[in-house]
Amino acid sequence: MENSEVGTTKSEWAARWADLKYTLYLLRKNPLVMAGIFMTFFFIALMFLANYIVDPKLANPAGYPEFGGNYPFQRSYVWSKGNIINWGPGIHLYEGPEFFLLGTDGWGRDLLKMIVLAIPVDIENAIIITLGAAAFGTLLGALAGYVGGVIDEVVLRITDIFLSIPYLILALVFATMFGRTIETLRFSILLVFWPTYVRLMRGQILSEKEKSYVEALKALGAGHARVLFGHIIPNSIYPVLVQATLDFGSVVLTFSALMFLGFSPSPSLPELGNLASDGYFHIFDAPWLMMFSGLTMLLIALAFNLLGDGLRDVLDPRIRR
Amino acid sequence: MKLYEYIIRRLILMIFVLLGISLIVFYLARGFPSGIDPVTPYIHSKMTAEQIEMVRKIHGFDQPLAIQFFYWIRDILQGDWGITGTWANSRPTNVVFFSHFPYTVELSVAATILTVAIGLPLGIISALKNNKLPDHVSRIIALAGYSVPAYWFGFVLQLVFFYYLSLWGLPHLPSSGASGMEGVVSCITGMPVLDGILAGNLGYTLDALAHLILPAFSLSFISMGFLTRIVRAGMLEVLRQDYITLARSKGLTERVVIYRHALKNALIPAVTLTGMFFALLLGGAMITEYVFAWPGVGQISLRAVFQGDSNFLLVYTLVTAAIIVIANLIVDVLYVFLDPRIKY
Amino acid sequence: MQVKEKEVILEVKDLKVFFHTYRGKVEALNGVELSLYKREVLGLVGESGCGKSVTALTILGLLPENAYVISGTIFFRGEDLLKKSREEMRLLRADEIAAVFQDPMTYLNPVLTMETQLKEVFMLDTNLLRKAVVWQKNHGGKIAFDDLLSGKVKIRDKSTNPKVSKGEINEMAKSLCVDILRLVRMPDPERILRQYAFELSGGMRQRAMIAMALARTPSVFIADEITTAVDVTIQAQILNLMRGLRDKIDASTLLITHDLSVAAENADRIAVMYGGNVVEVAPTVEIFKNHLHPYTSMLMKAIPDVKNPSERLEFIPGTVPEMINPPSGCRFHPRCSIATDKCAVEKPELKRVLKNHEVACYNVAV
Repeated sequence: MENSEVGTTKSEWAARWADLKYTLYLLRKNPLVMAGIFMTFFFIALMFLANYIVDPKLANPAGYPEFGGNYPFQRSYVWSKGNIINWGPGIHLYEGPEFFLLGTDGWGRDLLKMIVLAIPVDIENAIIITLGAAAFGTLLGALAGYVGGVIDEVVLRITDIFLSIPYLILALVFATMFGRTIETLRFSILLVFWPTYVRLMRGQILSEKEKSYVEALKALGAGHARVLFGHIIPNSIYPVLVQATLDFGSVVLTFSALMFLGFSPSPSLPELGNLASDGYFHIFDAPWLMMFSGLTMLLIALAFNLLGDGLRDVLDPRIRR
Repeated sequence: MKLYEYIIRRLILMIFVLLGISLIVFYLARGFPSGIDPVTPYIHSKMTAEQIEMVRKIHGFDQPLAIQFFYWIRDILQGDWGITGTWANSRPTNVVFFSHFPYTVELSVAATILTVAIGLPLGIISALKNNKLPDHVSRIIALAGYSVPAYWFGFVLQLVFFYYLSLWGLPHLPSSGASGMEGVVSCITGMPVLDGILAGNLGYTLDALAHLILPAFSLSFISMGFLTRIVRAGMLEVLRQDYITLARSKGLTERVVIYRHALKNALIPAVTLTGMFFALLLGGAMITEYVFAWPGVGQISLRAVFQGDSNFLLVYTLVTAAIIVIANLIVDVLYVFLDPRIKY
Repeated sequence: MQVKEKEVILEVKDLKVFFHTYRGKVEALNGVELSLYKREVLGLVGESGCGKSVTALTILGLLPENAYVISGTIFFRGEDLLKKSREEMRLLRADEIAAVFQDPMTYLNPVLTMETQLKEVFMLDTNLLRKAVVWQKNHGGKIAFDDLLSGKVKIRDKSTNPKVSKGEINEMAKSLCVDILRLVRMPDPERILRQYAFELSGGMRQRAMIAMALARTPSVFIADEITTAVDVTIQAQILNLMRGLRDKIDASTLLITHDLSVAAENADRIAVMYGGNVVEVAPTVEIFKNHLHPYTSMLMKAIPDVKNPSERLEFIPGTVPEMINPPSGCRFHPRCSIATDKCAVEKPELKRVLKNHEVACYNVAV
């Protein structure tokens, strides 16, 4: 063997590709996962198309020129008469020219349109947060696991601390400190979720490190960075992927929960938790507000959880023979 | 090492963890000018700027952060937990905290009981009837459990069991609060159900239970989803093992194989989870308490966050963090009894 | 030389078993034919993946969910096991057919004590225990497992309602446990009972498993690769033990192994398996002296010969067939040096070519 270059040879990637194809095959066989995949695609498509389906201006006063550039408050918390669903007595009915399939919110905006506008807000932020937490946690965990020693101990202790703080408090306090912007909210939720990845990756690295192929690579002259990034991390990436898809649901739920509790940058921002908080004080006389925004939230979380569960079942090394 | 050595080691570690946590929260709470102003509970709007400054000086809020931290630690250890609330209705933090804490405990205990009582059998059945109808049904229930937004589920329960039931003239459950009959029974533990039982007052106890069901169920539905999933996965894993084959080959009945051989092995991860859950629940399922107007610490801490009440927040964070750490310790110790292979 | 026809206790005919896996249908057993006589040790030999363990599991009725028995019969004492219900099979396993498996570390429950795992076997037959207690009370002295085993003490208690307490039954079971551990030559049985699987050495764990099988006084004993997971010295001990017990047990043994030498030393007859079929069956000495099937011949050649140490070991070209897409006809034909066209088309049946010697091959020279 005169070859001193330790590169990832073509056949290794061919093997990975074949593995991927097998994964897709297994996915196709599982109906729940397929449902999850379809729903996920649906929501992601909506995420991109939302601003074209519904005029984003409708979320703020500028979208209502006929009301003098104000929110059309005279039709707040109303349900369209003649709608199929009957919420019972005590509901304000609207008999005006427009028909609101899902009623209106406190600002008189069409709830259905607001929900459509809200979906991208939730999903985009959840993706950013999950990816951020995963990336950050994975890198830190990989470092801690690979280098070991003091760095490992320190990282572990910090992780322990973060895991011991009740998650809502962590996010809330942080958000309060740094003002109620979307960025702070994102970061504060990221703080809640990153420790899991550190632990996960560290565990994987620790067991991979001992494997013989690492020794072989080093004997062939590969540097640490190459071993770590080129080989160990790609081999340990499956559990991280699974965890990320599983976490996505929790992230999106936490994000909207924080908004619900009152942490939104602006009360009229179209966001599912925000819409719900608007309806909280009217749960009995305008239940549609909380009902449909929460239902959408449920469906989004369901979609991604189905996908994550299915992925996890399929990637389980014991079922793959 | 021996078990008690291990416990002591963990307890010492806990102190460091708590210290770390309090450092972080303290810094966040007092170290940022844009954030919570620690002076808030001690002043009111009518004060002049000089008076406010004086109050600040009295309580040492103008000192460097490190010194503040030191004083605060000293105060905490001496039992002075500061004052919470606004000027108008400020009370000592520990009074506020401990008068509301039992409610959270009651809710958490009830939720944990429900979670285990329903989630555990559901997970076991799911594993035993793998890929058949009961499995699919329980998987869907579990899935719903961890996909549902907490605030929405609580709301739906209230809508159905309170509003619509009363609308249709049917007996219904109350939608908020922990008890409809305040002051009827003397407060011994602070938990309505227990107090009712201790006082022998059936009506009070039933009323307290009626108030408890919906929020407890709302809370447990979510953790049930997680528990079922773990139990199911654990059981499936165990049933695949070789020792189960041997147990069957000995001619043991299936029931014995499952309850004596499989269960003990499968439950180990489930125990960890339940322990963790209880601790987290004690942290004051804020959302559920908020939606149901349950007078627990979660709700108060929410208010504290919005009002910038750093004293309460610090206390709350520390107490709940301590509970989480202790719960972890208990779970780890339990391991020793469950799994003979574990030795510390 | 046995003149009398030996009695068959277990007969497997044309057994076909498939597995449904994610990757496709695995044709694990392709018409296995096997006969086990009373009081003999039959060695079932073959490479990994040829279906030996599957055969054992099928006999026991312990196939996993994704396995399907397509056809065939397994006659035990005149009844077809494949037609029995789960409960009937369970009772059979508790009474007549016992198995010991390969790796005692994974086959013993890690969280239960040895006592629990051994006692539960005895507790399956509380009637027997009850009668034993009564017998002990009536006759004085202690009953030993030996007595039960050898049938010296035929417990045919006439009294239908012996008043025996639960504690006494437990006691009896426990003392039988101690007895049986002594029988399998375990040092200090009382202490062993209190311990867990991971606290015992490999050899002791294997003995414990053997004890669990023995406790039922079975008539058929299936030993699936019991020496594979232990090192050579323990191997020798275990096999010695088995040989010693042979005289005491009135049982037939199906000794499954991939190690020809183990089979050579311990089996009366040897059956060679390949690709889900039995390809040759003959008494041990016969098969070593006069192996007929090409696969058996190559197996023999692959064993190093002490007398000729410098000779190069021959290996069998090709690889073990993939059971998802097995070769047509005779499964060995792609690697066979004497294969003809017929071999690829139709699978050869196991035929008796000599007295006590059966082969499944078209091209054997007798």
